[in-house]
Amino acid sequence: MKSRFTEGRNILTLVLLAAFVWSLTTIPWGEDLIHAGGGQAFVQFVTAALTPELSPTFLQRALLASWQTLAYATASMTLAIAIGFPLGVVASGVLARRAGARLTSIYGVRLILAFLRSIHELVWAWLFVVAFGLSPMAGILALAIPYGGILGRVYAEVLQDVPQAPLHALRVAGASEWKVFLYGRFPMALPDLLSYGFYRWECSIRSAAILSFVGIPGLGYLIQVSLIDLKYSQVWTLLAFMVAIIVLVESWSNLVRRRLAA
Amino acid sequence: MFMLQEVTKRYPQGVALAPLSLAINAGEQVAIAGPSGSGKTTLLHLIGGVIQPDAGDISIDGRSLSRLRSGRELARLVGVIHQQHDLVPHLAVIHNVLAGRLGEWGLMKSLLSLVFPQERDAALRALNQVGLPDKLYQRTSQLSGGEQQRVAIARVLMQAPQAILADEPVASLDPARAEDLVRLLTQLALSTGRTLVSSLHSIELARTYFQRIVGLRNGELQFDLPAAAVTVSMLERLYDLQGLRDEVEVY
Repeated sequence: MKSRFTEGRNILTLVLLAAFVWSLTTIPWGEDLIHAGGGQAFVQFVTAALTPELSPTFLQRALLASWQTLAYATASMTLAIAIGFPLGVVASGVLARRAGARLTSIYGVRLILAFLRSIHELVWAWLFVVAFGLSPMAGILALAIPYGGILGRVYAEVLQDVPQAPLHALRVAGASEWKVFLYGRFPMALPDLLSYGFYRWECSIRSAAILSFVGIPGLGYLIQVSLIDLKYSQVWTLLAFMVAIIVLVESWSNLVRRRLAA
Repeated sequence: MFMLQEVTKRYPQGVALAPLSLAINAGEQVAIAGPSGSGKTTLLHLIGGVIQPDAGDISIDGRSLSRLRSGRELARLVGVIHQQHDLVPHLAVIHNVLAGRLGEWGLMKSLLSLVFPQERDAALRALNQVGLPDKLYQRTSQLSGGEQQRVAIARVLMQAPQAILADEPVASLDPARAEDLVRLLTQLALSTGRTLVSSLHSIELARTYFQRIVGLRNGELQFDLPAAAVTVSMLERLYDLQGLRDEVEVY
């Protein structure tokens, strides 16, 4: 049995390999594959890194844009936590006493969470632009909804995945499931909840920059403008600001995590 | 206080407790001794209402355990101290101590207490009794193993049950600290008039600090005597490796 299985697997590997080699012959290996002027533009872009735009007026604009990006990311994250945390608690099923109620809440809410997060923030952005027009509100909602879905999903698992013995001790002392949640589950899960929240906040900053096209001012918008004007030196300055924000968030997250670690 | 009649408990791996009858009076201090896998933890979990017997009847304070389904009612009768103290490491000591009151408190009071600790004086009194008066707001995980076990005792004091069950309360402590802790536990139970039932690895501690010793072997009662009447040959027989079954205790 076993050797026949291995044999079949080897044959499959050979077939897939052959298919890959054949696929190479279908590519038009001509001049069209790589854009002719691309090489030159690329060199220009890279050398511009040595001379980033550092004029005070531009730095001021970049600083303001960084602040805006951070503000929009933070606003969407706040909304995402407001959506994700309660849904995550319900989806974890830890407060439901009866098995039937627990299963209903777990699977019902997980379906909602799956819906929220399976649609990408760019798609949500399109939908909200149709509804609200090009407005910051559209951008914030577009980020908050899929992020809420992701947070809810992960929070549900973090809340389920805490050490059981201390929870059991609380139950034996007469605590209801709600009190077990307050005095055991939540405090034990908090470091992981926060640490994942920080990571998602970082992601939301990057996404907020991308979402500039629905009318969120900020770094993404400036990068877009500078790219269109072929001002690569400005792009590098803006990228540096982007990296700086992410590093700042990361170091704050480390600080908080170290304080919370048990 | 506790009355067991022909109580049996089986696990898929085998019989954890053969038909066992035992009576423990209110205010008594009983040590349960025996090799690993002899059924000590099973016995404690049974009389604490943590697990249900397969056969036989257990009553606490004259009431059948099977009728005491509400956690709060049971928590007034029996408080449990676990081997691994089972505190919430991320909380301040005071909240772990106050958790002993959760059975009595409403949800709002429990929530409020996490911000403004309620019944702070009582918690302070309990921590004083276990010799940790200055650790009120320290994070529990920063305490040593012995200190954490003391916090667990303070939690049971806050719960104020009629009987305290302790499952190997000193298993993870060095001998000197273990003795301190057993002395503290027995003295506190005696001074507050509470029944104390504890499983113990150290037969020396059992003989020094407890009035009565129950010897378990392979899930069967080997002896049940006043501590002074337990002889060396009885202990040799109790812990003899020959004929000892494999560990079946799982929880």
